[in-house]
Amino acid sequence: MSTPSGAAAGQRKKRNIVPYLFVLPAFLIHVCIVTGPSLSTLVMSFFEWNGLGDAKFIGLRNFAEIFTTDKVVRIALINNLKWLAIFITVPIILGFIVAILVSRTKRFQMLFRTVYFVPYVLSAAVVGKIWTAYFNPYYGINNLFAAMGLTGLAETLWIGDPAIALYSVAFVDNWHWWGFVMVMFMSALQQVDPSLYESARVDGVNRFQEIFYISIPAIKQTIAFMLIMTVMWSFLTFDYVYVMTYGGPANSTEILATWIYKNAFVKYNAGYANALCVVQSVICIGFYYLQRFISKKGGLEEE
Amino acid sequence: MKNKVLGALKYAFLFFLLLFEAVPILQVFINAFRTDGDVKTMPFGLPKQWVFNNWAETWQIGGYGTAFLNSLIIAAVVIVIVLTIVGLGAYALSKLEFRGREFFIGYFFVAISLPSFLYIVPDYFVFNSIGLIDTRLSLVLVYTATQIPFNMLLLRTFLAGIPREVEEAAKIDGCSEIQAFTLITLPIAKSIFMTVAILVFVNVWNEFLFANTFIMADALKPVSTRFVKFVGEFSSNMARIYTASAITILPIIALYLIFSRRFIEGMTSGSVKG
Repeated sequence: MSTPSGAAAGQRKKRNIVPYLFVLPAFLIHVCIVTGPSLSTLVMSFFEWNGLGDAKFIGLRNFAEIFTTDKVVRIALINNLKWLAIFITVPIILGFIVAILVSRTKRFQMLFRTVYFVPYVLSAAVVGKIWTAYFNPYYGINNLFAAMGLTGLAETLWIGDPAIALYSVAFVDNWHWWGFVMVMFMSALQQVDPSLYESARVDGVNRFQEIFYISIPAIKQTIAFMLIMTVMWSFLTFDYVYVMTYGGPANSTEILATWIYKNAFVKYNAGYANALCVVQSVICIGFYYLQRFISKKGGLEEE
Repeated sequence: MKNKVLGALKYAFLFFLLLFEAVPILQVFINAFRTDGDVKTMPFGLPKQWVFNNWAETWQIGGYGTAFLNSLIIAAVVIVIVLTIVGLGAYALSKLEFRGREFFIGYFFVAISLPSFLYIVPDYFVFNSIGLIDTRLSLVLVYTATQIPFNMLLLRTFLAGIPREVEEAAKIDGCSEIQAFTLITLPIAKSIFMTVAILVFVNVWNEFLFANTFIMADALKPVSTRFVKFVGEFSSNMARIYTASAITILPIIALYLIFSRRFIEGMTSGSVKG
């Protein structure tokens, strides 16, 4: 009798370790490379540190500098807010309209979806550089405008003029981004129960009203998700600005991420860069949890 | 009549957007077959004469042979590690009962939201002090770690859809948990593992920030950072900039055209669940 129960106990014990053996490698690698260092960023934000020598504890002085003396931070935050204003409207509205149009289209549906999504799968750094070449004042798109007789446009310094550089970069980021938004909306629309539309049509709702009475309420979870994620991503954005303007000319396109990068890897103010990272992360993680909170509250999530 | 006009307008609008997305990319490939002077005079348009030397020159000057090798090595290693550890982890999180399971699931949800700037600075300085800067290993470590949370949750959702009975049956037949995973679950989930492999490959191939920060030696640089050379040292030659871009994006475009459904589903599904 003792043998089988001993074996069962042994097996139960073995089964208790196995799940941990399965999950720990991924967990530990992630903790070592991402979470641990992230926590150290939090700690080091209270220090003055050049990344190599001894760190000196300075309390909240990095944060005080961020919110008082550092003028670039204000420019950066305003640019991040402008970025947010653009990305919470243009790609969301365009993506939504096109998603509605394409989902009602019989022919070429796959073609549209596939092509609109292409820029999203490409390297942001390379796409940014391609558009920098198109925006080149001597060899770029200005020559096309000149040939068309559009002198005003032909003389515009798309990414060299501080007044419009940020918008030019945002244009390119939009060009690569809205297709993703469109596909997100489209797959949400495809989940909508077709009988809803049929019964609405019986009630005399036309195809335009349908959008407001059925489509939007049915995919409100996805819309909410895209809105909140857009807020988060607007404070994280980096690639396009870094590659196309590097925050210039004269800090006019500086955003939080490029300013962090410069402080850490150009000026070697690691402690100060860490404090900026903390500010950035608090904003983003705050919005992330706001989104999860709202979806949970609204009973929008199965999880 | 009115419907026909609206229908035509709709198609006109959709095809305009199609060109708006496709032309800037197609033109990159066309410009790779034009002379530098031709490109500079007018960036959009067909070649006055087709030239083929850009590709070989750019490939050689950019060191793309080495760069492709670096990217492929890094991607291959990352894919193997990620599929293994994420596969096992997702299996445990979706199939096995154990204390702390909810903690791990919650952890990976939180992990997705951590911005890369939160850890790039300490990672750089730690790697620097232990001699990992300027090694492919540094990128392998970072990419593996950053690919874990998203793919863990993606796979977990999928594996949870496979009935547990099939694995239990295998275990009654004397299989260990790892055998049940490799012999039963893996063949069923082959397709989703393939999707994860493709997504990881694309992310590794495209990654620029860490690659450009951690690797200084030309011989170790992956493809995504090589175009920097043309912008810096050869900025006067626009045809080569376009060719370098074409070389970098061509593999991804080819993969995308073959597996577009997997790309689209994989890249959007995680965010909906997120």
